[in-house]
Amino acid sequence: MSIRNLVVIGVSTGGPFTLKELFKGLPPLDAAFLIVLHITPTMDYRIAQGLAAVASMPVTLAEDGEQLRNGSIYLAPGGFHLRLDGNQKVVLCEGPRVNYVQPAVDVTMLSLSRQPRGRLIGIVLTGMGKDGAEGIRHVKEMGGITIAQDQTSSTIYGMPKAAAQTGAVDYVLPPKRIAGKLMELLPQVG
Amino acid sequence: MSNRIMIVDDNEYVRASVEIICSSAELDLTSAASGTECLGHLESGFKGVILMDIMMPDMDGWDTIREIVARGLYGGNIIVMLTGMGEPDAKMDGLQEYVSDYMTKPFGPDQLLDSVEYYLTLLNTPVASDEH
Repeated sequence: MSIRNLVVIGVSTGGPFTLKELFKGLPPLDAAFLIVLHITPTMDYRIAQGLAAVASMPVTLAEDGEQLRNGSIYLAPGGFHLRLDGNQKVVLCEGPRVNYVQPAVDVTMLSLSRQPRGRLIGIVLTGMGKDGAEGIRHVKEMGGITIAQDQTSSTIYGMPKAAAQTGAVDYVLPPKRIAGKLMELLPQVG
Repeated sequence: MSNRIMIVDDNEYVRASVEIICSSAELDLTSAASGTECLGHLESGFKGVILMDIMMPDMDGWDTIREIVARGLYGGNIIVMLTGMGEPDAKMDGLQEYVSDYMTKPFGPDQLLDSVEYYLTLLNTPVASDEH
């Protein structure tokens, strides 16, 4: 079954705590959530488990060829870039680092197309550098809703700042208010 | 169940304050006054949460992480950077995947313990395979 709504989140340093804060108060929503966190293969599973302990939706590492499902949270594994085919099918790919990192947020977001029936939402959270800026601009061009974390709540205000400076960001918010915005934009399930 | 923490900081007062905080929480603290000492502890088998100062003489925090990665010593550890500066500089480029968090000094006991205890929980999560 195809997903109606898709949320793609890019995040780096400070991410584990920030993701915990974002998801711990979020009820199950009618969307697939894909997180691209700059992470190594030695830590990806542990981060996913840590998030699963607080999230109301199941959290798994995205697998190559997997179809995203509603009401689920996926973490891009370390050591690969992740593209989405048709905004739904996971394609893990090797290749050079982009913006010094792998997985890179830009690679995932630039693979997105218009969401045919529902909402496409792109979010850039705390992190060093500018990964996610080109991606968030693309999400906006694809008709998506775009959100960046605010400076005060960011562990490192690099990636959210670069995203906001593109002029393509609709909302600049701290994690708890990002959760609130997602609840406004997406229907609850269950 | 690991409860091991390593403080890497050339400032003895920072090391002492972290020691006081960790002892109150019954955490097993290893102290290193330089990047070289940190590498020595890792070569001797340390696995846990590493609190790494950035500004250190000789080998700074970023160069120490590069050496940790180059020697294959990163696995089984989580690195949290400690800094007196507001934001990191370009020396962090390429190390984002190895730095889980970033804490600005001075930090309070609750802030430090919340961070350390969460990362220890993650490190203690059993995984099917640790070979990668």
